[in-house]
Parts: sequence; structure tokens; C-alpha cells
Amino acid sequence: MPNHRSEQTGQPPRISVFWLVAAFALASTIGVLALRTERSSAARMWTFARLHYAMYVPAVEEWNKTNEPKVEVSLLGIQAVEQRMLSSFLTRKSGAELMEIERRIASRAFAGPLDGVGFLDLTDRLKAEGLDQKINASSFTPWSTRGRIFGLPHDVHPVMLGYRADIVEAAGIDVSKIETWDDFITVLSPLLYDDKGLRRTDRFLLNMWETHMDTIEVLLLQAGGGAVDPDGMPMLDNDANARVMAHIAAWGHGKDPIAGDAPYFSASGNRLLLEGFVIASFVPDWMCNVWRNEIPQLRGKVKLMPLPSWERGGRRTSVWGGSMLGISRDAENHDQLWEFAKHLYLSPELSRELYTKGDIISPVKAFWSDPMYDKPDAYFSGQAPGRMYINLATDVPPRYSSPFSLLAVERLRTIASRLASFAKAQGNATPESLLPEARRLLWEAQEEVMEHARRNRFITPLEGEGS
Amino acid sequence: MKSTNMQPQTRDAGTGGAAAMSALSYAFVLVATALVLTPFVWLVIASLKTNEDFFTSTFLPTRGGFFDVAWERLTFRNYLAVFEQPNFARALLNSVMLSSVTAVLATLACSMAGYALALLSFKGRTGATWLVLAALIIPPPLLIAPGFQVLFELGLLDSPWGLILPAVTPAFGVYLFRQAAISSVPKELIEAARLDGCGEIRTFFTIVLPLLRPTVSAFIMITFLGTWNNFLTPQIVMQSPEGFPLSVAIAQLKNTYYQDYGLLMAGTVVSIAPVAALFLIMQRDFVSGLTRGAVKG
Amino acid sequence: MSAQPVASLSHSRVQSRALPFPIAPWLLMAPFFFGVILFTLVPLVSSFQLSTRQTFGPEFSTNVGAGNFKFLASDPLFWTALRNTVVFTLGSVLIQLPLSLLLALALNRPNLRGRTFFRVSLFSPVLVGAVFVGMIFAVIFDKRTGLINRALHAAFGWDIDFPWLEDYVMPSLIIATTWQYVGFNMVYFLAALQNVSAELGEAAMLDGANAWNRFRHVILPAIMPVGTFVVLLSIIGSFQLFELPYILLNGTGGPQNRGLTLVMYLYQTGFQTGDLGYASAIGWVMALILGACAIGHRVVSKRGERA
Repeated sequence: MPNHRSEQTGQPPRISVFWLVAAFALASTIGVLALRTERSSAARMWTFARLHYAMYVPAVEEWNKTNEPKVEVSLLGIQAVEQRMLSSFLTRKSGAELMEIERRIASRAFAGPLDGVGFLDLTDRLKAEGLDQKINASSFTPWSTRGRIFGLPHDVHPVMLGYRADIVEAAGIDVSKIETWDDFITVLSPLLYDDKGLRRTDRFLLNMWETHMDTIEVLLLQAGGGAVDPDGMPMLDNDANARVMAHIAAWGHGKDPIAGDAPYFSASGNRLLLEGFVIASFVPDWMCNVWRNEIPQLRGKVKLMPLPSWERGGRRTSVWGGSMLGISRDAENHDQLWEFAKHLYLSPELSRELYTKGDIISPVKAFWSDPMYDKPDAYFSGQAPGRMYINLATDVPPRYSSPFSLLAVERLRTIASRLASFAKAQGNATPESLLPEARRLLWEAQEEVMEHARRNRFITPLEGEGS
Repeated sequence: MKSTNMQPQTRDAGTGGAAAMSALSYAFVLVATALVLTPFVWLVIASLKTNEDFFTSTFLPTRGGFFDVAWERLTFRNYLAVFEQPNFARALLNSVMLSSVTAVLATLACSMAGYALALLSFKGRTGATWLVLAALIIPPPLLIAPGFQVLFELGLLDSPWGLILPAVTPAFGVYLFRQAAISSVPKELIEAARLDGCGEIRTFFTIVLPLLRPTVSAFIMITFLGTWNNFLTPQIVMQSPEGFPLSVAIAQLKNTYYQDYGLLMAGTVVSIAPVAALFLIMQRDFVSGLTRGAVKG
Repeated sequence: MSAQPVASLSHSRVQSRALPFPIAPWLLMAPFFFGVILFTLVPLVSSFQLSTRQTFGPEFSTNVGAGNFKFLASDPLFWTALRNTVVFTLGSVLIQLPLSLLLALALNRPNLRGRTFFRVSLFSPVLVGAVFVGMIFAVIFDKRTGLINRALHAAFGWDIDFPWLEDYVMPSLIIATTWQYVGFNMVYFLAALQNVSAELGEAAMLDGANAWNRFRHVILPAIMPVGTFVVLLSIIGSFQLFELPYILLNGTGGPQNRGLTLVMYLYQTGFQTGDLGYASAIGWVMALILGACAIGHRVVSKRGERA
């Protein structure tokens, strides 16, 4: 007899594994087939933000009562939306008819030829209905490529500083004197020292770190820099970028560090905010809502103020985030979906919901006169955040999307890290002393990203582009 | 596991050094086992904790002192939340279906081919054997991108068949069954069956397959496990959320609820438990199946 | 491959329904042929062509000749991925395998109480898929609430905010994979150890060899074949690391791409950027590297056999 038998132990015969698994196979296949409903004629919509989802569900129910097509909204994680979006475009299997896309992801959709973009081109519709005038201009920029607009903007997202008014006012400091970043440091630096004149280790002025890519971009855009230019080409190597990067590194690791790391969107970061570890954080309109929900203990202790500008008379706000609603090019009933999209994004009811539930101001200029924006907010010590943000809305810098955005932003992230290490090594660094190195790193990065840009065969080479 | 142990009984007579070695190595094994099992224990406890308790306690939530465990704060809420997720229960079903169907079909296909290559004589047998060996060498990353293209052209994307069919004939499975057939199936038996007028196919199912039982068990479990845990292929092939298996669903869960640790851990427990249970019962066969090819070779 | 006696062939021809040639083998081989042609050979052939093209999904494709490979040679992301993967593979193999061997040796000692329990426990992480290992360790490595920081903090006053997944990505990956596979490799070594002839061990003992020499001259050579096999398996497996960093780093390569592995980069270029052509090129480079490893393995084991 073959000797393999000796390997089996003297166990009582049990059910053959094979038949066990086969039974599972049969049962589960029946289950799956039974559950497989015909892909209903409902239009699917994906979103990634819990807040948006909560608002859309009732709105969609309303729509479904009297309109076609019926819409089904699902909530997916942001990476999941990105992955599904890309897969559905690349495989032409329509994932969802409507996709709410965040800014960082949108640029991925633009990586191929113009007719490869998976979203419906909305430019003509927008112009025909005058929506391009009715909606805040800068809100369109992240969703456009090569002169065509592919998404309906959701928001404006101006950025202000949210600061610990209780600490600041207790020290007798008046923030209305602050106009530029230099002012900011000068006016608030007394808070860095304790009553004996010793430098505190548990207090910084600004919530900013080289790992916070979002806030780095906020500052870059404010200064007129950024990752890509209006034509979609990388523009890393410019004065504004260099200046901002040098400042950021000096603020974190220079001679007089004023920046501390209280990570945004983390429980530990929230704790640090409560402890007063950082005085001011970057607060776009939606961040108000995050704070309200996650750090209720700050109620009545914080206020908002416009961003200090980079030079006198300069821009006092920036932009952080943004979403759009895109219609899948492969969907069948574009006109109906377009009606739905407009209904969802541009209706006054929803814009009211957006503000009252989410603190987000509408991109539709006509709605800005709504009195709800002027309502005093107890969380922000009686200020009216809505109105404050609206006052900054037209000043919001444009930010451009391109297939190379992701790469360019990635490079910026690396540069921030490297500049930070350089500053630490240099010791006693100042923004001026770091400027040359910042310039050098940006130039290097620009070359690298241009390599990639030149390589892409699907983007028509633009005029004036050298090699 | 009865085995020829290397050290004969006469050893260890009185050498204190050997006793110290034994103690040391026992301690080593204990520590290693503790380190390996701790994440599991922690996982289960974490799935029963509320998010606040996550910040205050490492293992079990305590009321005050170290031993004053707050049992009442443990909750099954996370598990309820997991199943309230649309499509999570469906993902569980999908995982069971994909894994079991793939395992069964692959076992059949590979055992058939392995047997044929081992014991049947036919033109093209040599060529086919070389084919198997060549396919064994091809590294999976090479085939990811072109494989996707093929699935696209066959229209198999976003379908469970796009996951099942490519996995039904792994070369390593054919090789495994070929080796097993060579060593476990006596040619005389086959010839006797032929003389009795038994058709080849019938011979295979009624005589050969039972002889290959340990390999069948091992392979079916390996394939089930491999398919259950597979992430990359379902991630790129499946588009609609209803089609996701647990591996993809859990990644998505992490994305949406990245701070709801209890929920994530509960989801992970649900994803691991079925397979773990099945295997801990059958682990002996599994291990012997794995090591069979390596040790002899 | 043994030759079948011709007699049995003619027997079957006589006994079964008369067919011009034996159909049964082909029937039995049919599923395999179907599968391997459609899902291995066709993609393999197509990968040659695909690697000379630049695509945006399976639909848009343009010819770039050797452009992909030229770009690969100077693509900093590719070299980062390659470097990370090699570092990970080396670190992983050099840490895991000795550990597995030591465990196997320890578990192999006579009169070990609870050997089965230990073996099963140490082996259990193997059942957990890389995705799920990632889920567990994503929380274990978390800064304030994670198990590792908390335990180390309580025991040694370790920094409770130690940024595993930001600044120490590679060690985190190695720790997680070691946890996952130490039992797997241990089982292979155990099986090998238990096959080492008892007589050899006795003889060495009677010759007065101490434990170390016994190990070096008796055990080690005897388990060498399994050892090299395990090394090869580990190298091949480590090279294809993807799911774990994908989950731990949320689908990115991590800060400064410290966690970017080759398969991750392949995935990003192929299925996020949509350039399946470039992804194929990366696949080819990986295949060549792994092929070299396999050849190296054969050379080493042949030499071992001769010794």
C-alpha cells in the first residue's frame, strides 16, 4: 500500500473537506444568484463625505418622488471613490452615473486624452444657462482641463485662521492689528513666553508642519504660487513658492520657531488644540463644522480672522479642498442627470442645509445675501462665520488641475520635508537664509516633473513649450 | 505529530548545560508565542471596546486600578454597526462564494491535469509538462497589466467569473497533483481498472481521486484561503460594490471610517474568523500539504 | 518521466469504445489548457506588445517603442520603489529566517510540553490575509492609541507618539511581515529537522561534538535544501509586497514614498494613472529580477548537492 497513509493520524473519519467546501460553493452561489437584482434603472450617485451624504439622502428622496431618473446615493471612502472612478473610466464599466469627486482626485480623471475624460463635458451647458456667471469663478478652476469644464462646483471653501480668542484676549492682545504674516508673528509672540520670560515648550502660534500637505498648499496658493499653472503645466519653480516654502521651514525649525504640529483630523491633534498647544489653525468653512462636532469643548473660546497676507494689501484668504459633481460620460440620460445635478447643488434649500448643517457657503453668488449667513455663532464667540467667509469669497485664489497635479504636489511634499531637515541642520535658520535652498529644490523638482509631463503622449503639447 | 526526533533518549544525562538550554529555549518559545498571539487577543478586545475606551486603555477597559476591569463597558455595538454597513454582509457572502467555487473548480481542474500528466500517456504530454513548469516560473506581477487587458476584452471585468476563471488552473496546483499522483497512485491499480473495462474518466473519479485525498484536502484549503485573502485582483476586477469580497470591503471600510477603530476591528474579526475557525480544525492536513513538496524535493 | 509499457495502451484501445486516439487525457487536460492559454500565455505574449505602448486604460493606446524602458531607467519613483523593495526583502529575510530557524530548533527539542499548541499558535498568523494584517497593524502602529506605543511606553517609557507609519515605515512593514510569516517558515524548518536522520545526530554526539558543532556540521547541511527553498520563497514573496503597505499607508506610498514597493508602483501606474503599458514594463523588470533569483537558487542548491 502506498505509504502516504502513515501521514494520516488515527482520527475518526470526518466529513471530507472537499464536500464541505463544495456544499459552501453551492449554497453561496445560490445565495448570490438569488440576491442578484437586475441593475435597477436608478441612477447611482457616489459621495465620500459623511456630511454631504446626510444632506443628500432627504434631498434625493424628495427628488425621487416626482422625477426621473430615480437616484440612489451611496457613501464610500475617499480612496474608494477615487479607485472606483478611475477603474470605471478605464474599463468603461460605468461605476456610477453621478460622482461627487474631491479636488485631489479630479486631476486623476484628466490624465488622458481629452476624449478619455470619463466625465461629461459641461462647458456648453453651463454657458448656455449662464451658470458660469452665476457661480463664483474660482470655484470652476479645479474641475477644468484644456479649457473645458467637467464638473459642477459644490463650494468655495475660503480659509481663515481660527484662533484661541480666550488665550489671546486674556493676554491683552488685539488681533485686529494683524495684516501680514510678519505682523502675526510680532503681535502674537508674547504668547510664546511664560511669565518668567522663558520660552514655552508647549505653545506655538500656528498649527503647521511639513507633513501637512494641505496647509502647505493653502499658503502656496495664497501667495500666488501652487503646483500647476492655468495651462496645467507644472510650475514649481517660482518666487512665490520659494518664499512660502522657506518661511514654512523657518517657522517650524528656524531660529524662532512658531509652528507646532497638532495634526488636523486626528484625535491627538484635537487634544492639542484643547490644551492650547497651538494658538491658530487654518480653518476653511467646512473645518468649522469639524471643530463643532469633534471639539465641542472649544465653544466660545475661539474666533476667526482672515489669513494674514504675504505682503501689505495682499490676499487675505486661500482655499482648501473642494468637491464637484460629475456626470459619467457613459451614462445614458445626460439631460435628466444634468437636471438632477443642478437641483442638488444649486437649489436654495440645499444651500441652506449646506450652511446650517455643514457651515459651508454656497458657490452661487445670488444666495450670498441670505440672512442666515449673518447669524451670530456661539461657538465662535458671537462672530458670524458665514458672512466672514463670504466677504473673502471673491478673493479665493484659483487652483488648477492637471494630470501632473498629483506628481507636482508629491514633489512639494518632499521638498517641505527636505527643507525642514536642511533648516534643522543649518541651525538658527531664517526665511532669508533658507531661500536659496528652497529655490534649488524647487528647480530640481520642476525638472523632474517636466520629464513626466513631456513623456505623456496624450496631452497635446502646448504652444511655447520648449523641448 | 509522531516523528523521528533527532535527539535520542540517552542524551541529557546529568549535563546541567543541556537543562539550561532547554529552559532557555522553552522561554524563547513562550515569549515568541505570546508576541504572536497578542495582536489576536488585542484585536478581539478592541472590537468590543467603545472609541473612548480606545484612548484610555490598552487592553480591557478598567475602572480604576489595573485589575478592576470594567466589563460592562464592553459592547457588541461595533459588530452591529459592521453589519449595518450596506454590502458588508454581501461581501461576506461573496467571499464565501468566490473562495469555495474557486477552490472546488481549481481542485478538480488541477487534479485532473496532474493525474493525466503523471500517469497517462498521450502525445503532447512532454510539451504539456514543460508548459506547467514554464507557467510555474512566470511571476504574477508580469501578468497583472496584460491580464487585465485580456479580461477587458473578454468582457469579464466586474464579474465574479473574471476572478474565478483565471484562478482555476494554477500551475503550482497541477504540479502538486502530478507529484502526488506519481507517489500515491500505483500504476498497477490503474491498469487493473483498465482491464476491468473501467473508462479512464471513471477511473479518475472513483479510484484516483480517493487515493489523492490528503493532497485534495490540502490544496482545496490552500486555494480557499488564498482566494479569501486575495486583495489585488478583486480590487482591479470588480467595480460594483455588490461584487466586492471582504478583502476589498474592509479596505473601503477603513477608508470611510478611519477613526472608528472599534468598527474596523470588528470588521476585521468578521473577516478573519470564518477562515480561522475552519483552519484551526483542519490545520494538520493544511501544514502537511504545504510542506510535502518542499521537504522531499 | 517513466514510459508506460506499450501493452497497456493497446489494452485500453481494445477495451474502451474504439476511438482513433485516447480522448480521456485530453479531456482531463482540457480545463488546464483552457486556463493556461487564456490567462497565462495570451497575457504573456501580449505583455511584450503592451510594454512598448503607453495607454490610458485598455482603450487608448499609443506606441512608444522602447520609451517605457528608457524612462524606467531614469524614473526616480521606480528606483525608489526598487530600493524600498530590495531593502524590505533583505531586512525581512535576514530577520525572519534566523528567527524561524531558532523557533524550529527550540520547538524540536525533546520533551517539549505543549508542542502542538505552540506550533499551531505560531502558525496562525499565516491564515490572516495581508489585507487584514494591514488592518490590525494599522491600529497597532497608531500613534497614541496603538498597542505597540502604549505597551512600550508603559514598560520602558517609550515615546507614546512614536511615528511608526510616518518616519519608520520600513521597520513597521518588516515587523508586520515577520509576525505574519515567522510561523510559516518555522513549519518548513521543523519538517526538515524532523527528517534529519537520528543516526547522524547520535554519531556526532558519541564523537563528542558539542551543540554548536553538531548544528554546524550535521543539522545545517541536512536542512540546507529546505533552507534555500525557504529563502527563495521568502525573496519571491517579499518582492511582491503590496497589500500590507496599501492598507497601512492608505493606498499611497507613504511620506516621501518610503513605503512604495514595486508592485504598488505597478498598481499605481497601471490602475490609477491608467498606463498599462508602463505597468507591463515594470512587470518585466520584476520578472527578470525574480528570474535571476531563481537561477541563483538553482546554482546554490546544485552546489550544495554536490558537496
